[in-house]
Order: sequence, then C-alpha cells, then structure tokens
Amino acid sequence: MRIVAFIGLAVALSGPLTATEPVKLPYVYTKWRQFTVADGLPNDHIFAVKADGPRVWMGTEDGLAMLDKRTGKIKSWGEKDGLPWKVITAIDVDKKTGDVWLGLFGGGLARFSGGRFDHWHQLNSGLVNDVVYGVAVQDEYIWAATTTGTSRFNTVTGEWAIFNEKNSPMEEIWNYNVAVGNGKVYLAVWGSGMLEYDLATGRWKDYLDPDGEMEIDLYRDDGIIHVIVTGASPADDVVWISTYFGACRYDGRHWRGYYNQDSGLASDFINNAKGRSADEAWFATDKGASAVTDFKTNTWVTYTRDTKGQGGKAVVMRDRGVLETVELPVGIPHDFVINYDIDGNDIWVATAKGLGWGIGEGYYPGLRERPKTPTKTAAVKGGVR
Amino acid sequence: MTSRIGGLAAILLIGGGMTGAQPPKVPGKSGAAADTMPPELKTLIDPDTAEVLRRINGLSPYETPDLKLRQDTVYANTPVDYEPFGAIKPYKEFFLKQMEYTGPGRAIPEPGPDLKSVKIGFIGPIMSTVSAATGGKSHEEVLGIKMLEGAKLAIEEWNARGGYFRRHIPFEMDTRNDNGLWGASGNEIVNMAYKNEDWAILGTIDGANSHIAIRVALKAEIVMMNTGDTDPTFIETNIPWVMRCIGDDRQMGYLLMDYVLRKMKYSRIGIIRASNRYGRFGVREVNDAARRMQHPVIIEMAYGLANTDFSLQLERMKEANLDAVIHWGDAGQSALILNQMRKMGMNQPFFASDRSVSQEFVKIAGANAEGVICGYPWNPDHKDPKLDAFRTAFRKRFNAEPDTYAAHAYDGMNMLIWATQVAGLNRAKIRDVLAYRTKPWPGVTHDIPFGAALDDLGEVFLARFENGAWRYHSREDMNIPRGYIPARDRVNRATGEIDPMQPPPQN
Repeated sequence: MRIVAFIGLAVALSGPLTATEPVKLPYVYTKWRQFTVADGLPNDHIFAVKADGPRVWMGTEDGLAMLDKRTGKIKSWGEKDGLPWKVITAIDVDKKTGDVWLGLFGGGLARFSGGRFDHWHQLNSGLVNDVVYGVAVQDEYIWAATTTGTSRFNTVTGEWAIFNEKNSPMEEIWNYNVAVGNGKVYLAVWGSGMLEYDLATGRWKDYLDPDGEMEIDLYRDDGIIHVIVTGASPADDVVWISTYFGACRYDGRHWRGYYNQDSGLASDFINNAKGRSADEAWFATDKGASAVTDFKTNTWVTYTRDTKGQGGKAVVMRDRGVLETVELPVGIPHDFVINYDIDGNDIWVATAKGLGWGIGEGYYPGLRERPKTPTKTAAVKGGVR
Repeated sequence: MTSRIGGLAAILLIGGGMTGAQPPKVPGKSGAAADTMPPELKTLIDPDTAEVLRRINGLSPYETPDLKLRQDTVYANTPVDYEPFGAIKPYKEFFLKQMEYTGPGRAIPEPGPDLKSVKIGFIGPIMSTVSAATGGKSHEEVLGIKMLEGAKLAIEEWNARGGYFRRHIPFEMDTRNDNGLWGASGNEIVNMAYKNEDWAILGTIDGANSHIAIRVALKAEIVMMNTGDTDPTFIETNIPWVMRCIGDDRQMGYLLMDYVLRKMKYSRIGIIRASNRYGRFGVREVNDAARRMQHPVIIEMAYGLANTDFSLQLERMKEANLDAVIHWGDAGQSALILNQMRKMGMNQPFFASDRSVSQEFVKIAGANAEGVICGYPWNPDHKDPKLDAFRTAFRKRFNAEPDTYAAHAYDGMNMLIWATQVAGLNRAKIRDVLAYRTKPWPGVTHDIPFGAALDDLGEVFLARFENGAWRYHSREDMNIPRGYIPARDRVNRATGEIDPMQPPPQN
C-alpha cells in the first residue's frame, strides 16, 4: 500500500509529460495561410470552398473567387461579370467536364463553364426554390438542396426531378445540404434529420432523432442527435453529420454522438461537416475548426485564432482532457467556421472572415508516437509553397 | 460580467459620452461618436444597456463580447410531469443556455452619410394569394394586415419623434407579402438582407414560412423578430438571430391543459385540428401533456383547410364519448365545428387555440360561443397607460380596434427600433442589445421577458367568452393548479435521491 502511494506521489510530482517524450498523438496542422480581401478576395464572408486540382473555388457573400494554388493569385467574378447573383452558398465541380456548379442564396443554380455563366431558377426550370444551400454532382445529375425541397437536374436530358414531402420521407422540406458517396445521396434536412437516397434502388430512408423531442437528447448514441441537421458527409463507409446541437457518426449500424461536453468539439453549433475517412472528420463550429482525428480513441484537434495578430492555437484533446496545445504563428482566419474542403493532405477552411489553408506537410492519419510539438513553430511566409 | 451593472459605467456613458471607461475606439467601427449623442437617444439607454454597449463597441472582428449569457434552469417553465421521458435523466438538455453570436459582424463599419432612411423589414401575409396548403384562397391576410398596421404605427410614432436620432433620418418599413407558395418567404428575406439592406426584420405568422425565413436570416446575419407565429419549434432551432415577443403554443398549451386536467379533471379528451403546421404542432403539447398525465387523448381528427363540413370528424368524436373537445385552427372553422357539434348534440366543453379569440368566431358561433375557453398570449383587459395610449393611437390612425396581431407587432417593432437606435447601424449590435437585455421589455401587451432561447416567457392567459364578451383570466384568477417546476435542470438533477416528480423535502 505504501509502495503504491509512493509511486503515485512520484508520478504526480513529475508533472505532465515533457515536450520530447513520445506519446501517440494525431497530426496537427502547424502551417496555415490566410486569405482575405487584402489578398484579392471579393468578400471575406465565405460560405463555400471547393478544391479542384490547382484551383480552389470560393463562394462568398459578394461573388465567386478562385485561388490558383501555384501562384497564390486570386481571381473573382461578380454580377457585372455575368454571375447571376452575388451570394454563393454552395459549390461543386463536375470532374468529367470541369464545370463549376454554384448554389446561389436566393438566386437559384448557376453553371460556370468556359467563362460563361448559365442560370436556372424557379421561373425557368424545375428548381424548386431559389434559396439553394447545397449542391452536389452525381454523374450527369446535379442535386440542389433548397429551402423547399431538393431538385435534381439531368444535364444530359435536361429533365428535372423534385423531391419533397410528396415523394420522399421529408417530414419538413427545408433542405440544408446534399452530398454524394457510398452509392447514396445524403440530404441534411432542417427539421427532418438526414435522408438517404439509394442510387441503385431509388429508395429513400430517413434518420430521425429517436426520442422525437426538440429540447432533449435522451440517449447520446441511439440515433441522430437532433432533427435540425446542417450537413452530412460520407467518407469510407460511414457518414458524418453536423447539427446546431452537436455532431454524430453513423456506420450503417451504430451511431455515435458528440457534444462539446464529451469530446474536443469547440462548440455544439456546427455549420457543416466534412469527412476525410471513417476515422477523421472536420466540423465547422462557431468557435473554431474541430476535427475528430481518431474515432476509436475520441481524439480531437481544435484550431482557433487569437484575437490579436494572425496567430492561433491547436489543442489536442482526448475526450475532454487536453493532451497538447500547439501555438501557431498563423492560425485559421476566424473562429466562425462555415465550411471545409479536403484536398489531399491539405485542408481548406471557409470562415466568416477569410479562407484558411492548412498545409499538410507530413500529414498522417490516426495517431502516431511522436514527441509533443514545441510550442512555437516556424511561420509560413510568402504566397507559394 | 455581472448581469446587474453598477451606475458608474452608465454615468460615464450617458453623462460624458462613450469615453473614460470605454475600450479604445476603432475608427469608423463603433457608430456615431457618443460625445455627439443626441439627447433623445440618451433617454433610451438604461445603465444595463450602457454596459452592453460598452462591451460590444470597439471590438475587432476576432473578439466576442464579455457578456453573461442567460442560463435557465428549466426549459420553458415546463412542470416535471409534462417533461418528455420525465422519469429518465436525459443525456443532454437544450435551450437552457443563451446562444452566442461569435462572428465578425460587430466590426462591420456603419454605412456612409448618404443613407436616406433606416429600413426595417416587415414580412407578413397581407395580400390575397393561393394557399399552399389547400390550393384555394389564402386565409391569413386578416391577421397579417393587423400585424402590418401595428408595425406601421410603431414606425410612424418613432418618425414623429425624430426618426433615427443619430442621423435625423426617418425609419422606413420595407414591406413584403408572405406568399406561402414555393418558399417565397426565403426569397423575400434574401431581398431584404442583401438587396434592400434592412437592419432587422419583423415577421411572420405561418409556421412553415417562419422556419424558411429564419434559416435565411441566420445565414444573412440579421435579426428576425417574430410577433405572430406561436409554433413552439420556431424558437427551438438554436439560432442566435431569432427572437419572439409573443407567448407560444407550448405556454398556452400548458395552461390550457392545467385547466383541463388538473382543475376540471377531464380524462376523455378529443382533439380536432387543422391539417397544417399550425394545427399539427399546436396540439403537440396538448397531446403530450394528456399522455404524460395518464389521460392520453382518445381521438385526434384533422381536417383540410378548405373544409366547411366536419361531420366525418365529429361523428367519430361523438362516438368516443368525450369529456372535452380541443380545437386548434383558424377562427372561422373553429366556429363552424362548434356549431356542428352542438347541432349533433355534442355538448362537451369546447376549448380552442388563441386564433378563435376573434369577432369572426363570435359572429359565426353566435350563442354557442358562450363558455368557450381559449389559450391567449396576453391579457388585453389589463390596466396599463401604455396599452390605452396604443389603442387610442391605433383607432385614430386606422379607424379600427387593434387585435392581438397588431399589439404584438407594435411591441416587436418598438423593440427593433429601440435596438437600432441604441446600437447604431450594425446588425450584430442590434441583436446584442436585445439578446443581452437584462430587464423585460415594457410592451403594451405585457412585460416581455426573454428566456435563454430568446423566447417570450411572460404570463399567458385563458380567454373565456362570458355574457357576450371575451374575458381574460390568469392562472390565479381561475385558481388553476400548477405542476412542480424544479429549480434545476434535468441533466444535473440527482436521480435516485429524490422523486423527480415531487418538490424536494423541506428541511
């Protein structure tokens, strides 16, 4: 008994692990670049970001922008250039054609192709509403999640299909996001949870909060945590889900819920989710960029920006315990994160005040034994990697 | 910070302008210089608001104000026996802590000096159109026009006092029809937020349209004040930009069911409701309360919005041998249902939602209206000089009596204009001064205290048609028992130690 007590005391007195002592830790993005109107963006409020080879497309509150990663130069398009409406909330790129599809916030759907904008809206097409929150390319189809249902446009035949309460299990029709993966189309629906459309069978399946109550989550892992769903992102064979109440993960059989109180989530108010794999997903919260980096151990990294200067922090957490805090000379552009795209080892972070580029040099998935990162790392200077 | 602010900061602000204890001023970002603050404006800023302003002005885009968030112990004052899954400690309870706005909006500069007016948006059903629910004629214009008149009166009164005090320019109402077809309300909010550059928006009535509108307001970052949608889920969305200054169907449902179940001890309850969102969501708390009090609703019948013949529904309800009938829907159909019930020999007590408290209902129901009881979000008979003045002004301006939609819109518009006056032309700050108010808003309808979800938690009433007129009764007036409301949240309660359905033992 005395020996145990002595060992315990010795461990306690030795304090936390030293900076060089190897422990199993996730990859931490320590090199960030920030892009704002000072770098040529038409507006700092960025709703959507989509990486497309050397190009990175941004949908802002005042126009479309494209960053050339090779040169660091930004080009932009506004209404004077033919963009049908200035507020862009969603972007996807057709890999076969290179066409850029834009969801316009109150302006319908647009295609940017060969330097020309084509425009579909409520009055000239089968688009069910002009307030478009999400857009996704699925083969020759374009899916547009709107405020009163989802429309699907066949770019080959020109046919439109509308999905709403009449032909799908939408308890409410206020669609918020759409994503394609695993042979399915996932709709994030405000008030109706997540809907799954099986491309092979054409059948719908809905996922609602099992307790059916707005004001509580009865059990964390019994299903989707809330019906106000903001994003659904398939990766590997799972789907990651964001809500304004927390996040969750579904592997086809098991659910796992995440809240700020039991994970590294910076906040339960989550604008969007982006899955990288079955083990890693990024959640766009109003208090930072939070990534679960190792599902099995509930290990997270949250990136924030300091209120002064360009610096920031990356905090590594397991459950609610802090494993490591990394000071960043350049952090994410703002803590109010709206969207992401994953670009190989890199991560693009759309915020309410600029775009962040997390440069994933030496990125590794999951955990690795490594020394803790020294508190100060070298700044990334200059426009080009 | 402490929620109650000492007088010193306020004296510094009001007496000597925004100097002294102020954080360093960011040029062009904190609005009109306070040392040039017009005297009319100073009278609008109480010490607590002065402290809120001190903490939100001059922030960089990367800072959030150091202000205490509201923390409720029980959501919507729900008694334990009405709580969902009451015997189980839930993993998470929502809406107890006030939502924050953490974006960069407070640092957005005010517009230049060429601004000609300060636009406040209004969206409501004011023009006849095709009903999205029935395909027939829309039916909410009678409510929406009153709402418009109440809002308009508030704007005109502020303009008569000098308009926007900081620049001596008028307020202007950006008026939009809430056409329910194809989600048009979403398009209208986009227009108001991005094209017309409104500073805040008031609206609307229909539950579905309201949800569409607030989703846009959230992305566009503009305050949406609701004065006419009593759908409980409107506020249960965790949006920091949404507020409501009218009691909702949850509050009215609780009181109604306390009367039906606890006082009158009716056990066989039937529901008849409109087949729309108003009816569907309005009766949720009624249904839940009945079930949780061990008297599940015997029968629930829905009807189409174009219906005038309810015999199909009522024949089934008659067979159910009910103690009481509860209706949730519009006034006209409510009266028709009541008349047909009585004609069929169904003499059960008739309860209804607040929309039945109207002259339309009385006119159609005639003598059958006597004794009908409805939930109501306020007491129009309460004695208040503000209410008297409002009624007088409304009659003079519109040559008609104001109804509940007019009165609540008047309150809501006054709240928005007050916030715009004191915060300046910055949407985030307009939100802040409302969201962080420490005192209830002194409205003509009632004192409006916000809960953590920025919903109106003020007292609601029962309206009873007595001797040819609607009379309004509080819980106390009618001696209606209340369930136990614990002073702690559900998640942190000590289960196993005490019976969660009962008050803790007194030591």
